[in-house]
Amino acid sequence: MTAAAELDSPILDIRGVAKRFDATQALDDVSLALLPGEIHALLGENGAGKSTLIKIITGVHQPDRGQMWLNGVRVSIASAADAQRMGVAAIYQEPLLFPDLNVAENIFICHRDRGAVVDWSTIFRDAEAILAKLGVALDVRSPARGLTLAAQQSVEIAKAISMDVRVLIMDEPTASLSAHEAEELFRLVRDLKRQGVAILFVSHRLEEVFALADKITVFRDGRLISTHPRAETTPSRAIADMVGRQIDLSRRRATSARLEPLLSVTDLGRRGVFEGVTFDLRRGEVLGFAGLIGAGRTDVGLALFGIEPATSGTIRLRGEAIKVRSPQEGMRLGIAYVSEDRRQLGLVLPMSIFANVTLPALRRYRNRCGLMRTSLERRTAETFRTRLAIRTPSVDLAVAKLSGGNQQKVMLSKWLNTNPSILILDEPTRGVDIGSKAEVHAIIAELAAEGIGVIVISSDLPEVLALSDRVLVMREGRQMAILDGDDADPETVMNAAMGQTSAKPLGWPA
Amino acid sequence: MARVNWLRRHVRPEQLRELSLLALIVVAVMFFGSMIEGYYSFRTFNRIASSVAIIGVVAVGQTLVVLTRNIDLSVGSIAGFTAFFVGTLIANHNGVNPLLAVAISIAIGGALGVVNGVLVAWGRVPAVVVTLGTLAIYRGVLVDLSGAKTVTTDSLPQWLVDLPRLNIAPVGDLDVRPLFVVAVVIVILFQFGMGYLSFARRFYAIGSNPEAAQLIGLPLKRVVFIAFVVSGALAGLAGFMTLARFGNITVEAGRGLELNVVAAVVVGGVNIFGGSGRVTGAMLGAIMIGTLEQSLFRLGVSEFWRDALLGLLILLAVASDAVILKRLNRIWARTELKRIDSLAERAP
Repeated sequence: MTAAAELDSPILDIRGVAKRFDATQALDDVSLALLPGEIHALLGENGAGKSTLIKIITGVHQPDRGQMWLNGVRVSIASAADAQRMGVAAIYQEPLLFPDLNVAENIFICHRDRGAVVDWSTIFRDAEAILAKLGVALDVRSPARGLTLAAQQSVEIAKAISMDVRVLIMDEPTASLSAHEAEELFRLVRDLKRQGVAILFVSHRLEEVFALADKITVFRDGRLISTHPRAETTPSRAIADMVGRQIDLSRRRATSARLEPLLSVTDLGRRGVFEGVTFDLRRGEVLGFAGLIGAGRTDVGLALFGIEPATSGTIRLRGEAIKVRSPQEGMRLGIAYVSEDRRQLGLVLPMSIFANVTLPALRRYRNRCGLMRTSLERRTAETFRTRLAIRTPSVDLAVAKLSGGNQQKVMLSKWLNTNPSILILDEPTRGVDIGSKAEVHAIIAELAAEGIGVIVISSDLPEVLALSDRVLVMREGRQMAILDGDDADPETVMNAAMGQTSAKPLGWPA
Repeated sequence: MARVNWLRRHVRPEQLRELSLLALIVVAVMFFGSMIEGYYSFRTFNRIASSVAIIGVVAVGQTLVVLTRNIDLSVGSIAGFTAFFVGTLIANHNGVNPLLAVAISIAIGGALGVVNGVLVAWGRVPAVVVTLGTLAIYRGVLVDLSGAKTVTTDSLPQWLVDLPRLNIAPVGDLDVRPLFVVAVVIVILFQFGMGYLSFARRFYAIGSNPEAAQLIGLPLKRVVFIAFVVSGALAGLAGFMTLARFGNITVEAGRGLELNVVAAVVVGGVNIFGGSGRVTGAMLGAIMIGTLEQSLFRLGVSEFWRDALLGLLILLAVASDAVILKRLNRIWARTELKRIDSLAERAP
């Protein structure tokens, strides 16, 4: 067989696949061919059908209609084990590792052909060989618990390689990685590509997609809208295909900062976590917190809100020294913290939208007998539904049923309902599709214009730069710089975040 | 950083745990030795050893169950049921082959474990609820079947009465008795099995991250089921050991054993949230619990205070686990971040 012929025929050929869940047509007549040695990016808003397609390819769901051909043979993938046997592997945003097992065991956990007795010395040797081939330095004997997300992703890739993967699906693998870590991951992905693996790459980060992919496919409402070679399309065109309208995320927000300082933080620290954080936040100002994951940005947010109180330094609110020792105190002082972890810390998923919105301010919704006034709760929720354009048939719906972007809006509503004067947003658009992202950005700008002081913690650098009046950069629990809007360009921020002074930062297009 | 990596590689938290437990046992023995006259005697050793043997055998089964994020509270009732059932059988048919009697005990225990396993794995009922239910049911059935009669030593054949005092391999003046040998053999078998059998590694995987186990197609339900069957079977064996040890079996036999066993497992460093822990740790835990039980008994401490102490030990063990693990993880995460940063600095 010639190399050309091999390259031309797809490894995985999906033909006319459709899938329906109750009333929603999740996938409608989708055809997609994955070629060996090709990185195929899949774009689409949340709910466009990307996850459904991934679940069908990995055997979690069965299609209602359509066929799947693997290497020219028609197959049906009935279970996760089936998919593994056929050389189809998936890597998710949150790595699926076993924290108590060591790295080597995690790599080989899917192997069922290594005998009934575990030969530890061989397993360690094989695992080391695979990791060496990947150029990843990890101790194969240490447990996976405590590895960074990036290291966990590397283990996932090693796992896929060990199974002789032919089709690799990556579902937002970089969502929780810093820029440098993401660049490392891309190096591995390009290696796999050279080895002839077909890669389906799902991401919300357009710059990533355009740097990495050979082909770009856009989904909308369960239908395939377009497939183009990268050279023949542009980010704005891809976005237009995704949402059906043009959106520009890079435009810098007009400032609404006023003169009077709202919050003055001097030399704030928490023992062993962060130290020496000093900044002023003015009314109507958006202050961005940039830095790598683990730089301590979230910890500063937690300290300001009182979840993990500061142990040193002073906080002044409108000139008055305050101490925030608990979230209750933080709330009373008019501070609101919107967590990065929607699912675990932010929302009560099985509860209705209105119940979530009124949760931090329950006292206002009690009648004289101490019972809840649900009609008032619903009215509040309706106000926010209109104001933030939460797309839902009813505020009685369980939050779990909403898309990521709409869940984020419910989170925002919940904290705005406490009438904060300071709003701390931690990764406000993580896992949110691009249309909702623009809406969240617009809401943030609006809130600032109303005079609220906003702190935005985000690993999405274009987002921080577009939103912020000033950018505070942290690294390893220390404040590296505060940059004024005009000085804050991607290079300067990344240099400060990486602790570099001159060299060009990694993972950021010039 | 190099030192932390070395520590991380060579001293696992559970090993640290086992070493400190060993030290605690030595301290406890020395304490009781100074409080009780004639404590350092073979009589003491044998008493503690046969108590440890029974707790230890059941603790091994419990370890498998706890590893999968479940718990088996019915072990005491299973042991009691088996002891009484097999005791009655032997009392009525003195000619029963000893090995057959052991096999029947294991089979009865296993069968009772099957009920637990089916309800937890396929019935999707939480293990605490299922085994709390069967704890009461098995005991209730036992009381009903027995008509509140007792098995007495004089109705048992001579071999069974002699069994616990049989001296297999005299080491100096020390007797090594069958019950303790059985426990040690089981611990060794399971220790190696859990470390080296691929099927056994799934217990750790499933307890460590059930969602991931499901997604990569590990047989979650089958593993949970087998954990309960093994736990039941070993509790059945412990029932036979109880019969041999006491000779007189009432409907109260094995009552409260679950508290001893859960305490042994948790004190022995098996994570109550599943995924980590070793059989040898559970055995050390059993030695600690057995020593405390017997010694406090000799000090004249009431049964209720002994139970209260066990409860306190369980709470302390779980709390120290949480604190220590959190600390270690934080240290490890920090070295990992530093390593990645240093890589970043070296990159062009």
